[in-house]
Amino acid sequence: METTLTPAPAASAPASLKTTPMLQLRDIEKVYQTDTIETVALNRVNLTINKGEFVSIMGPSGCGKSTLLSLMGLLDEPTGGVIEIDGRAVTSYSDKELARVRNHKIGFIFQSFHLINDLSVLDNVELPLLYRAGLSSKERRQRAQQALERVGLSARTRHFPSQLSGGQRQRVAIARALAGAPEIILADEPTGNLDSVMGEEIMELLLSLNRDQGTTVVMVTHDENMAHKTERLIRFFDGSQVS
Amino acid sequence: MIRHLFTLIWNRKRSNFLLISEILLSFFVLFAVSSLLVSSYYNYRQPAGFAYDNVWEVNVSPSQDTASRKEMLQLMLQRLQATPGVVAVTRTSSNTPFSFSSMNTNEFYYQKKQGPLTDRYDADDEMQKVLRQNVVAGRWFERRDDASTRRPVVVNQEFAKALFGSEPAVGKVLSNDKGIESWQVVGVIDAYRRGSDFDGNNPAVFERHVLEGADRFDPNDRPNLLVRVQAGSGAVLEQRLVKEIQDVTKGWHATVTTLDESRHDKMKIVLTPLIALGVVSLFLIVNVALGLFGVLWYNINQRRAEIGLRRALGATGAGIGGQFLGEMLVVTTLGVLAGVILAAQFPLLGVFGVPTTVYVLAILLAAVLIYVLTAICAFQPSRIAAGIQPAVSLREE
Repeated sequence: METTLTPAPAASAPASLKTTPMLQLRDIEKVYQTDTIETVALNRVNLTINKGEFVSIMGPSGCGKSTLLSLMGLLDEPTGGVIEIDGRAVTSYSDKELARVRNHKIGFIFQSFHLINDLSVLDNVELPLLYRAGLSSKERRQRAQQALERVGLSARTRHFPSQLSGGQRQRVAIARALAGAPEIILADEPTGNLDSVMGEEIMELLLSLNRDQGTTVVMVTHDENMAHKTERLIRFFDGSQVS
Repeated sequence: MIRHLFTLIWNRKRSNFLLISEILLSFFVLFAVSSLLVSSYYNYRQPAGFAYDNVWEVNVSPSQDTASRKEMLQLMLQRLQATPGVVAVTRTSSNTPFSFSSMNTNEFYYQKKQGPLTDRYDADDEMQKVLRQNVVAGRWFERRDDASTRRPVVVNQEFAKALFGSEPAVGKVLSNDKGIESWQVVGVIDAYRRGSDFDGNNPAVFERHVLEGADRFDPNDRPNLLVRVQAGSGAVLEQRLVKEIQDVTKGWHATVTTLDESRHDKMKIVLTPLIALGVVSLFLIVNVALGLFGVLWYNINQRRAEIGLRRALGATGAGIGGQFLGEMLVVTTLGVLAGVILAAQFPLLGVFGVPTTVYVLAILLAAVLIYVLTAICAFQPSRIAAGIQPAVSLREE
């Protein structure tokens, strides 16, 4: 089992950056509506995530954490309110513009890894770079290889996800998120499917990314211990921020 | 992205194998139907090699009395020839143009080389005046052929090419399987496609026969007459011909049909199985299309999480639709490639003696149809894939 983390090449984010907003949510509402039922998932949420921050979001199941993360990741549209990324309101962006923002600025890590089982580790990590114009095949390979080195999986490039442990799979997912050099990583219960040892490893990896690279990280978690390791903890209840 | 698609399909080769096999089989069905259609169209565009307009076929049913039949036949031919409105009259074997009767043989040899399977026709000196075959070398039969020691024959170019290659055919002596030299080529016509508009130009030999000589024109046979009439001739002349025959023969029954009518009747009969085959093929193709549609639909439902992931990583909705369409086209290409390799054996091995051009066109047509079919089948599922909401599909797993 590989547990060694390669030291990150970049310096940590300067403290001044942590006052610059990376992600801002203003009066965000999300309502799911069927013919007979109206469910309010998020109710007038106002939230600012600064550059270089590591924020964790906690709350009971169904409180709107994942919906919030989907909205932050531009995977869903709010019913009301404005989302700003890097100072720009993206609410009226076209599908193409949203895809570009997701590709260049946002990295995703999911609880169930979401790796494509028919692609090798290297091909999985290369995936976000496929949607980026102007990169040669060689450059893509190099960047994917570097991302895998950073998570300590450079020896597993030709393996397939089914040949890896849960922790290794989550490392591949992190490498995939890193390959595109995003400014913000959105992690949806990244340790939820892992045992405590593996969970600690993944948490350390995220902390080192935030500390050494200055990458903004927003993490949804159920684990109090993990949440307390982050700089800021936001609690949600019934679609509203309570702390 | 293309390399990525190939990698993905290669890594999913087991699940794609059935799809590729289905496409390969569909390609073959389409190739077979296309070959038939292209071949038929190719033949349809070729010259018939004879003129059937203003030619009537007179079928005479002699009475039971065989006495003086030869004399009666000679008299009948003379009377018909002398009838106003008649241009020329020929007596031939029963395999007249557009009839279902056929006579073929492979008894012709040239320098111990056996000739191809050949359609054989009995002909007299008048036949060329009636059917106006296009003589491209030598001549048609003439009276002077009575003095010939070998039976004169006129062959078509297909026969000449098969037996003599590039050598001139006129003057060549043909023998039978025992080496007895029995026939001499006196002329070459370009083509003779007498079966139907969709028949090929099969090798053909016309043997000269005259009523006066001791030859294959058995006076006891049913006489098959072809009459070229003046343009515009109609029912009046038809009645006149029947009356002339009855006057001469004292009660022989005669019926007249135009070759144009026979051609149309034959075309209907030839087209019927073609249309039936086309309908069956269409039914098969619709089934294949529904199968492909179902498989693609299922694939997309199985890959909803992947679609959500790709959207999260930067793919647009249109990009996802394009990817699924692209995957299907790559899978189709693999099936078509395998099909083309197999289908190419037909022209390479000269199967059924069909021209190479026909097979090449049939391969192209089948490939285009398969691509259109798969593109149509993939279009709607790809649209569905493009419309999948990433937030929803990522949560589903």
